[in-house]
Amino acid sequence: MNKLMILLFTFLLTPISYASLAKANKYFKANSEKNADKIMYELMRSKYYFSAAEFAKKVIISGKPINKNMEKRLVTLILKTGTLSFTGLDENILKGRHSKALNFILGLKYFNDGRYKEAAHALRKPGKRHRFSPESLMILGASLNIINKDKNAIKAYKSCIKSAKHFENKANNVKLKRYYTIIKESCYIHIARMYFKIRKYKKSVHHYEEIPKTSYRWPYILLEKAWAYYYMRDYNRALGVLVTYKSPLLSSYFMPEGEVLSALSYFKMCLYQDTLKVVNNYYGVYKNRSKHLKNILLKHKDSHTYFLKLMLTPIDQNEKANPFIRNLITQIRKQIKFNLDLVNYKKLKNEYKFLKKRKKTPLVKYLAASIRETLNWRTKHLNHYVKKQMFSFINDIHKNSYEMFNIKLEIMSNKRDLIYRNKELVSDRSRGDISNVNRTIDQHFYMYNGEFWADELGDFSFGLKSNCQEVKTDKK
Amino acid sequence: MKNLLIKLILMTLFVSSGINAQDKKNVVFKYKKHESFDLGNLEIKGNIIAPGDLSVMERERKRFNRNLLDRDDFNSEVKRDIKTLR
Repeated sequence: MNKLMILLFTFLLTPISYASLAKANKYFKANSEKNADKIMYELMRSKYYFSAAEFAKKVIISGKPINKNMEKRLVTLILKTGTLSFTGLDENILKGRHSKALNFILGLKYFNDGRYKEAAHALRKPGKRHRFSPESLMILGASLNIINKDKNAIKAYKSCIKSAKHFENKANNVKLKRYYTIIKESCYIHIARMYFKIRKYKKSVHHYEEIPKTSYRWPYILLEKAWAYYYMRDYNRALGVLVTYKSPLLSSYFMPEGEVLSALSYFKMCLYQDTLKVVNNYYGVYKNRSKHLKNILLKHKDSHTYFLKLMLTPIDQNEKANPFIRNLITQIRKQIKFNLDLVNYKKLKNEYKFLKKRKKTPLVKYLAASIRETLNWRTKHLNHYVKKQMFSFINDIHKNSYEMFNIKLEIMSNKRDLIYRNKELVSDRSRGDISNVNRTIDQHFYMYNGEFWADELGDFSFGLKSNCQEVKTDKK
Repeated sequence: MKNLLIKLILMTLFVSSGINAQDKKNVVFKYKKHESFDLGNLEIKGNIIAPGDLSVMERERKRFNRNLLDRDDFNSEVKRDIKTLR
């Protein structure tokens, strides 16, 4: 039934599409620069969005004021083709325009260039009900957060949550609803991070708990939550949160820093044997895996397509080469930017295919050349995006192995110090006990029986007693 | 005169070599089988500038502070969130 409806719509829309393209051809022949806004409109009516974006850029560059209609069309083009279509415009062209859509592009451009003060200035008036207000408020909050304007940052994040909730309720399809949910959750997480920065760890944990376990953001915040517990000196809880990554459900989320934090938590409880076990496992398993992965990826480092193709092929075919490939592909595939860019990339490919089938008028020839160039650039861009993330993962493993080495040295130094002082650690304790578990009023206790239950994930705590008490060697 | 001078030189050489040979034969070196020194009785001239007792100063063993991983903020994660959003 659905297929029949789509076919019917295609037949109904095709004549409009032809008529609009014919009009665009006419305007192009008359004067392509002067008629840029009309050509853009006609191309949009024919659903040639990427082609329309080419002419929208001409309108913006011409310096014509952006009226209400143009603003609406710009919003549509950004949604249909992605921000990448406009972030290439010079900042002097985007600056000082009365357009919330262009302000959003400018703010994003500044943020990506690390110019946070300018980003905050560009996004200071995002508009309450503008389509890009949740994203703009999130970037505004992040910019203010980085330049340490904490009060204003929290205000921006709270507005972001409100705005995202509004669009979430209004959204009429699941994907759009999910998109705004992620923005809303991200703003909660950013508030939690701000409290962490000012060392209000309890408040920070409270905000992290706003994120449901079903959220795509949830696996990432476990590590941050564990850091908050670590600084609250609740090492058992930190270890419990981190052990969640070992559950089969989260096998795709390997966090190198999580391993270092586990080792540090054991170390702080003077459980040197356990610390060394984590350190040695890191060197024995993860570092070797990353070396192997590096060798695979380095062979293709100059390719403009390899990493993109890797993302597009089924995981089962690639994971045999290295177990980390599954982790990386799963995590990148869940990122909003990658998904949006990939969808737009496929749409761009289709548009190019349709243009090539059209009659070779001067406009079609011009558009085909320009779209081909955009397609090549977007292929390289997507490939680079994936490559960068894969190599930064390898670098993370390398960086954290240095941290592990430091922990190992510290243990050796502490052990030597004990010998010089003719002392040793007490060690006469059982491995774990409920009396060592710190609990809040809403936390329950169940024994761990070798199984991870989905509803318990993230709520584990170890019951280990600190081994930091020293005794004289001969008195023991 | 010349012959007399030569005879005198030869005689001097002969007599001196005879004395050397006699000296080598007579010299015998002997060492004491046991000798003790009374160190307490030794008198050393000078000023005492060090404490009289042998002492060891106790001090804390130098500990080298290694910077273990610390987390002040999650700014890098905040940046990554925006870069992976749009």
